[in-house]
Parts: sequence; C-alpha cells; structure tokens
Amino acid sequence: VQPGTKTILICEDDENLRLLIRAVVGPGYHLVEAEAGDEAVALAHEHHPDLIILDLMLPRMSGLDVLSSLREEAPPGNAHILVMSAWPNSEEPSRNAGADSFLPKPFDPDDLTELITSVLGAPKT
Amino acid sequence: VKSLSLSGRMIVASLVLAVLVAGVFVVLIRAVSAVDDARLREAHSKDVEAATVGVEKLVIDLETGLRGLVISGNPRFLEPWAQARKELPDQLNQLDQLVKGTPEQELRARQLRRAINSYINDYSFNLINIRRQNPAAAASQDSTEEGTRLTNSIRGRFDELLTAENSRAAASAAAANTQSDRALVLGISALIACALLIISFGLYLARSTAEPIRGVATAASSVAAGDLSVRLPEQGPGEIGELTVAFNRMAAELERNQLELQAQNEQLRDSERRKSELVRIVSHELRTPLASILGLTSLLLTREIPAEDRTRYLEIISSEGRRLSSLLSDFLDVERLEDGHLPLDRELIDMGRIVAEQVRLFEGQSESHKLEMNVARSPLPVHGDPNRLAQVVSNLLSNAIKYSPEGGTVEVVAERDDGHVKVSVRDEGLGIADELHDRVFAKFFRGDAPESGIPGSGLGLTIARSVVEAHGGSMNFESGKGQGSVFWMELPVAAAGQ
Repeated sequence: VQPGTKTILICEDDENLRLLIRAVVGPGYHLVEAEAGDEAVALAHEHHPDLIILDLMLPRMSGLDVLSSLREEAPPGNAHILVMSAWPNSEEPSRNAGADSFLPKPFDPDDLTELITSVLGAPKT
Repeated sequence: VKSLSLSGRMIVASLVLAVLVAGVFVVLIRAVSAVDDARLREAHSKDVEAATVGVEKLVIDLETGLRGLVISGNPRFLEPWAQARKELPDQLNQLDQLVKGTPEQELRARQLRRAINSYINDYSFNLINIRRQNPAAAASQDSTEEGTRLTNSIRGRFDELLTAENSRAAASAAAANTQSDRALVLGISALIACALLIISFGLYLARSTAEPIRGVATAASSVAAGDLSVRLPEQGPGEIGELTVAFNRMAAELERNQLELQAQNEQLRDSERRKSELVRIVSHELRTPLASILGLTSLLLTREIPAEDRTRYLEIISSEGRRLSSLLSDFLDVERLEDGHLPLDRELIDMGRIVAEQVRLFEGQSESHKLEMNVARSPLPVHGDPNRLAQVVSNLLSNAIKYSPEGGTVEVVAERDDGHVKVSVRDEGLGIADELHDRVFAKFFRGDAPESGIPGSGLGLTIARSVVEAHGGSMNFESGKGQGSVFWMELPVAAAGQ
C-alpha cells in the first residue's frame, strides 16, 4: 500500500453486493472486506480505515452493534461510517448509533462515488 | 325451595291486614251490641221495678182499706181495697210478662202472686166477715198481727224481687262495661298491630325490593361504564331473585362476548403485525437482489467495463433476477396457502430421481459444504407434483447449507420406509434451540437467522410442509442448538397400477 492511500473497509455479507461496491469504488483506494460483524470490528482495529461501508444485517454481529463497538474506541472510531441497508426505516437508528451517512439499498452507483469522493477526496491514481 | 314471589308476599300481607282489620271490627261491633244489650236490660229492669212498685202500691191500698174498715167500721173505707183488688190481676200479669224468661224471677213473681192472693182470699175476706160479725175480734191484737205478718212477708218478697232485678241489671251493666273496656283495649292493640304491620311491611318492601333494585341499578351503571365483571348476589324474594339471576346471566354473556371480541381483536392485531412484518421482510428481501441488479446495470450502462467483468456482471444480474422471481413465487405460494388452494399436478414420479437432481444442482454452490447422497437403487414411486416436491427437497438442502455457515457435511437419504418414501437431510450446522421447536414451521419464523445474517423470508419450511401435507405426507425434524438438524418428509408410496 502506497503511503497516503485511503483505506475503505467494506462490511457486506452478500457476495454480489461486495462485488458491486468494489466495482463502484474503483481503483485508487486500499480495500478491506468483511463478511460478518465481528470480522468487521477486528479489521477496523487492524487497518484503521478512513471510511467504513457497513451493512446492517450481518452474521454473528449486527451492523448496529458494530457501530456502537467502533464508536467506543478512538482510533477506528474516528473513521467515517456509511451505513447501507435495505431495511425500511433504518436511517434513524443507524444515525443514532453513530453512522455519519446513510444510503438506502438499492443505491445509485454515482451517489456512492460522490459520497466517497466528498469524504476521502479524489482517489490516488 | 322456590320462595314465594314478591307479588304473592304482598297479597299475603294485604290479606293478613284485611283479616286483622275485620277482626277489630267484629270485636268492636260485638262490644257495641253488648253495651246496647246491657242498656236494654237496664231499661227492662226499670220496667220490672215500676211494675213491682205498682203492685206494691196496690198491696198498700189493700192494707190501708182493710185497716180503715177495722178501725172505723165504715164500709166506705174498704173502697181502696176493692179498687186495688180489681186492678191487681192486670198489674200482676204485667209483672209476670216482664219477668218471663228469667226462671228465678218468674218463681218470685209466682210466690208474690200467691202471697197476695192468700192475703186477699184467706186474710182479707176472713177479716171482713169477722168484722161484720164481731168488730172487737177484728180489731184484736191477733188479727192485726196476722195482717202485719202477711204484709211484711209480701213486702219481703217485693224487696227480694227488686234486689234480684237490681243485681241482674248491675251485673249486666258491669259485664257490658268489661266487654267494652276489653273491646277498646283489643281494638287499640289491633290498630297498633296494624300500624306496626304496615310499617314493617313497608320496611320489608324497602329492604327486599328497593335495596336490591338499587343494587341492580348500580351494577347496571358499572356495566354501562365498561366493567363487565360485576355480579350480584343471586338472592331476594321471587321476582327480585329472578332479576338478579337474569342480570348476572346478561353480564356473564356480555363479558364472554367481550372476551371473544378481545381475542378476535388480538388475533387481528397479531395478523396485522405479521402482515407488516411481511412487508418489511418482503421489501428487504426484494431490495437486496434489486440493489445488485440496478447497481450493476447502471455500471454497465455508464462506465467502461472490461469484457470479462461485463460477463460476470450479467451472470450476477441473471441469478439475482431468478432469486427475485423465486422470492415472489414463495410470497404467492403463501398467499395461496392462506386461501387454501395450492394447485398440484398428480403424476407418478420417482422421488429418488428428484432428490438426485436437486443434489446435483446444489453441488458446487458452496466450497465449504460436502454433499453426501444415499438414494435407494430401486425406484421410489410417489403420486405427486414433481415441481413442488423438487421445491421441497431444494428448500431442505438450501436450509441445510444456509444454517451451517461454518461448512460441513450435508447428508441426503432417500429410501423406502414402512409403506412410505422417506427423504431426510441432515446437517452439522447451528441447530435449533428446544424452545423454538414448535415455531419452526410457522410463517416468517426465522429463529436466530436475522441476527446471524442468514437471508431468507421465513416462508420456505411453511410452504414445504404444506406441500408435503397436500400430498398426504408429513414433515418433521430433530435438532438441538449447536448440534445440527435433520429434517425429513414421508410420502405415501404410490400403489402399483396407479
């Protein structure tokens, strides 16, 4: 990983959606992927990501639990956390649990790109 | 024992009052007539007295006449005697008439008559004859004494008769007095008794009707205010008792209806909750594949994608489309299950072949799972809908894989078992806690799956069991938390020639 490259942690249990998010984010970022909630917390501690894209329905540990766990500690806790969920009415509980932004599924790839750029700046090319 | 009705009691009380009042009147009337009798008897006594005094006067006239004759010797002096003698029979008859009916007075009147007759006939005529022949002898002491003795005796009889008559009058007056006093006391006490009876009956009415009726009114107000548990003590005379019994029946019926309505309401609320839960699940389950389809489509349309990625994206779009389609079929199946008509084809099929096909479809879908298949060599003939039964097997296989996220062996057995074709799928996955066992086949029940991140609608097993049961078969399972699960279905073997 080149110095200065921003790290994005993708927590999503649906393989196809992981692939989509990877494709939308594109090159220029350091990507870390988790399939389950506990895995997401462990990777956050390990990689100190700048942005965490978090699904709510995750195996073993729910997205909301991941949120409150991450918000308790400083180094991973200052990452920008984007919650993406297909559950209706889930924006408010997500923001209450500490999410910085929210995108409902299905999502427009351009919206995600725009959000990532505004949070992390343009990717390193 | 059925108590006398309230109206019966009122009639009885009125009768008692009427009898009491009538009794008082009888006593009073009898007292009045007794006083009347006494007054009549008194008047009668006065008459007897007057008649006696009349006789006495005539007797005195007799004596005076005789004495005048004896002393003067002048026959003119005998006139009062003659006059009295003429009047006496009438006077005595009158007396007899007056004392008639009273034997002792009749006797006295008779004795008096005899004494007077004896005085006139034996003494007077004798004396007059003696006077005519020997005036000195007539005036002798002897003859005078004889006259005095006779008149004294007559006077004594007068006294006796008058005294007896007086005492009779006094006795009847006293009896009348006593009777009227007694009648007065009886009448007053009967009137007091009537008053007490009326008051106590009034109190009784107030206590036995007004109070219970007030109780019913209060209870009715409680019912009107919504408290249907209120009950009255089932007592009170006749109609009041019936009223309380009827009231309690009404309240009980209302309460039962209310409870039924509450239960129905609860069911409706429950079904409403399930419906909204369904909407949540449906929207989530549909949005996840939709997110892949729409996102990848958008990328394909707007960005430069390398050829091999493009193929991969299209494959994902296609499979997610099928996932959507199968989800929609499940929702529709549940809808049909609820309506009670799930259409089924009936063909002679070999369950062994259907199981083998499904296992082949699942093979290679997961790297961490190993599928072991053990299908009987001889055909397993069943009458049924091949697509639906394939759907059931597919559901069992997909559950076995989904609920063993750490991977492991999934063992599929299809065999003949005692007149049945039995298909079982065993996994080494999460298993199901005992307390959740009775809800496993319930609609939308997913156990710990949502927390575990295992996708699904909670409809698969509901549909699977209904399909098996529609084929005359049964479905069951054994499981324990952390010990994996085995689900099996049993279908009747198709008879040869069918």
